[in-house]
Amino acid sequence: MSPKDRPMLGRLSLPQDRHFRPKLVGYTAQKPNPMAVIFGYSLLYIAMVAVLILMYGIIPWLMRLPGSPFAQDGVLTATGTLIYAMTAAVLSFLVVAIAALILILALRKYLAIVQNRHGPLHYGPGGAFQTIADAFKLVSKEDFMPAKADAWVYTLGPIMVFISAFLLMAVLPFGKTWVLAPLEAGLLFIIAAGTLSAYGVLIAGWSINNKYGLLGGLRAAAQLVSYEIPLSISLLSVAIWVGSLNLVDIVEAQRSWWTLFPLIVPAFVYFIASLAEIKMTPFDLPEAESELVAGFHTEYSGMRFGFFFVAEFAELFLLPAIAATVFLGGYHQPLAGLWDFSEVLRNLGSGTQFGNFLADIYGLLWLLIKTALVAWLIMWLRATLPRFRDDQLMELCWKGLIPLSLVGLVLAVVFRLIFKG
Amino acid sequence: MSALTLSGASGRVTGLEPLPHQTNTMVVNLGPQHPATHGVLQIVLGIDGERVTSATPHIGFLHRNHEKIEESRSYEQVIPYLDRMDYVSGLQNELAYVLAVESLSGIDVPDRAKYIRTALFELNRVISHLVWLGTYLLDLGAITPFLYAFRDREKALDIIERTCGARMLPNYFTFGGLRRDIHPQFWHDLVDFCAYFENILPEYEALTIEAPVFKARTQGVGLMSKELAINHGISGPNLRASGVNHDLRKDQPYDAYPYLEFEVISRDEGDAWARSKVRFDEFYQSLNLIRQCAYKAPRTGAIKGKGRVKIDEGQQIYRSVEGSRGQLGVYLMSDGGAGPYRIKHRSPSFVVLQTIPDLFIGQKFADVIAILGSVDVVLGEVDR
Repeated sequence: MSPKDRPMLGRLSLPQDRHFRPKLVGYTAQKPNPMAVIFGYSLLYIAMVAVLILMYGIIPWLMRLPGSPFAQDGVLTATGTLIYAMTAAVLSFLVVAIAALILILALRKYLAIVQNRHGPLHYGPGGAFQTIADAFKLVSKEDFMPAKADAWVYTLGPIMVFISAFLLMAVLPFGKTWVLAPLEAGLLFIIAAGTLSAYGVLIAGWSINNKYGLLGGLRAAAQLVSYEIPLSISLLSVAIWVGSLNLVDIVEAQRSWWTLFPLIVPAFVYFIASLAEIKMTPFDLPEAESELVAGFHTEYSGMRFGFFFVAEFAELFLLPAIAATVFLGGYHQPLAGLWDFSEVLRNLGSGTQFGNFLADIYGLLWLLIKTALVAWLIMWLRATLPRFRDDQLMELCWKGLIPLSLVGLVLAVVFRLIFKG
Repeated sequence: MSALTLSGASGRVTGLEPLPHQTNTMVVNLGPQHPATHGVLQIVLGIDGERVTSATPHIGFLHRNHEKIEESRSYEQVIPYLDRMDYVSGLQNELAYVLAVESLSGIDVPDRAKYIRTALFELNRVISHLVWLGTYLLDLGAITPFLYAFRDREKALDIIERTCGARMLPNYFTFGGLRRDIHPQFWHDLVDFCAYFENILPEYEALTIEAPVFKARTQGVGLMSKELAINHGISGPNLRASGVNHDLRKDQPYDAYPYLEFEVISRDEGDAWARSKVRFDEFYQSLNLIRQCAYKAPRTGAIKGKGRVKIDEGQQIYRSVEGSRGQLGVYLMSDGGAGPYRIKHRSPSFVVLQTIPDLFIGQKFADVIAILGSVDVVLGEVDR
C-alpha cells in the first residue's frame, strides 16, 4: 500500500510534531554545550597545527640560523639532515596520532548527531578528550597473544599496516617548502606505500589462527589489491595532466585552476577507491562485525589493536589529504589565480623568512579545511549506507571503477593535448 | 549443548556436491555468541571459500520451560509468562492465549475492549517490525536506521507503558477484555503516534528498502519458493512474500478485525527484499488499522465481559492469531482443573528455522546474514 492510497479518516489528529513524545514519560539527558564542544575541538586542532608548524617551520628555521652547527650557507649539512629527519619522524608520528584522535572523535560526534545521540560527552570540554582517554586505556591493557598465533607474523601485521599509513606523511606537501621528502616520484611512492597495508592485513588475518580472522584477512587483501588499480590509474591521470609525479609540482600547477575540473572522473574514482582503501562503509567487509565479528583484528587487543585503529583513522586523514593535494589545489586558497591572500602575507615580511612562514601557515589551514571536507564526505557515507557483499564489491571495482578510471585516463590525455598542446 | 538439531524438509544437512576445484571445507560456528544471530541461535556452517556448503541450526540455548511451568499455574497466572515468550511483541502472545480461553469458557468480550485490544495488537506489530528493521540494517552494516528505529519504537512503547504500566511485559489482556481501563488520552496518543510515524516513514523508506545498496544486498537473495514455504508451514510476512495470500486477520478474523477494512499485503518474489517490503508495507497497514480503531471504537462502555473461566474436562482448542512474525497459535487442553492440563505454543520463528538449510546452502557467507535477518526470528519465541 502506498502512502497515496491511505484513507484519510477525519481530523482527530493533533499537531504533527516530528519529536512527538507522550507527556507523562520523560527523561532528561545532559545536553552538550556547543561552546564547550567547539573549544575542545579547537584545542586538538591547534595542537595538530602547532606540531606541523614546529616540524616544517620553526625547527628547520632554527637549524638554518647563522652560526648553527647543522647548516652551512642556509643548507643543512649531512649531520643536520640526519638529525632533522629523526626529529621530523617523531613529530610526524605525533601529527598522524593527533589527526587520528581528532578524526575518531569527529566521526563519533558526527555519527551521534546523525543518529540522534550525544556521543562522547563527559571527558574534557564537550567530550573532546575522550579519545585520549581511550588511547591511554589501550596502552595500559595487557599485551595479549593467542596461544596458537604465529608470534612474529602476529606482531608484524599491525606494524606494517601502521607504517603503510604513516609513510604517506613523508611526501605530502603541507606548504611549498613544507614537505619532508620532495620526491620526484611522489605519486608512485604513495601508491607503493599504500599497497603495503594489504600485506599487513593479510598476514594479520592469517597469523591469529582464527576463522573469522582468516576470512577477514582474505577479503581485505582481495579488496585492497583490487582497489589499488583504479586508485593508481586515477593518480596516473593527474600525472599525465600535470606532467609531473612530484606532488609539489602538482600543487603548484593548480594555483589558478584545480585538477578537479578537467579530471572529475579520476577524482570520483579516487574518492570511491580511497573509501575501499580505508575500509570504510560501504566497503567495510573485512571487519564486517555482523558477519566476521571483527575480521582480521578479531584476536588483537590492547595497543596491537590500537595500531590497526590508529592506522585506519590516519588513512582517513591522509587519503583525503592526498585527494585535497592532487585534485583540490592542496595548500592553495580557492581561485588563487585571481587574488591570493598568501601573496599579501608573503610580501608582509618583504624579503625575510617571516612572510613566507605566514604564507605557509595560511596554506596549511586551507589544506586542513579541504581535507576535513573530504573526510566529512566519507563520514557522511558511513552514517548512511549499508555494506556491499564481496562479489558486488569486486564487480564494482573490475566492471565499474577500472573501466571508468581508464576512461578518465584517456580524457586526461585528450585534455592535455587540447589545453596544453 | 544444543537440545535439538533441525534439518531441512529433504533431510539434507550435509550439503552440496563439492566444487570441481576441491578445497578444504571450513566449519564456522555462527553463534551462539555472535552479533548477527539475534540472541542465542547457533548455526554450524560448512563454508568453502565464501560459499556455504552445509548449515545446521542448533537451538535450545534460551529454553526456559515455559510450557511446563504454565501447566502448573492457574489460567490467570499463565498470562505474564506469555509476555516473556516473544519479548518483542508480548501483547500478541497474550491475545492468542486469551482468545483460546475465552472460546472454551464462552466469555463474551465487549466491543470497546475488542477495539482497544486490536489497536494495541497492531501497535505491537509496528514495534516488532521496527525492531526487525533496525536489527536487519545493523546486520547489513548500517548503524543509523537501527538507532532511528529504536527511537521510534520507544515512542510506541511509551504509549503501551502509559496504558498497561509496563513497556515490554504489559500483562494487560485478560479473559473477557482488559485488566484495567484505558486512560483518557489513549486514543489521542495513538492517533498522534500514527501521524508522527507516517510522516517519518518516507525517511525510513529512503534509508532502508529503497536504498540501492540495500536492494543490491537483498534482491534475489534467500529465495523461498511458494512450495517450500507451504511445505514448511511458514506463515506471516515470510509466507506472504512468497506469493501466498494468507492472513489470519482476514481468514479467521478475531476481536475487532471483522469490523475493519484492510487488504492483505503480499508479493510474489519470495526473496529477502520482498519479505522486507511486505513488512514495510505493514507499517502503513497497521497505522491505518490503528486509526480505524480510534475512530470506530465506542467511547464508553465496559472493558471486561461477564463470565468466569470454567473449562470442563477433556475440552481442547487451538486458537491462533496473526502475529508480527506469523501464526501465533495456542493449543489448550483442560482436565477440569484451575489451570491448563496441557498447553502448547506454536511459534512462527521456530517454524522458519526449519528452512535454514534449504535457504543457506549454496549461498555466500555474507548472504547468510542477509537471509537470517530477513526471516525475522526471535529466539525467545523459538526456545520458549
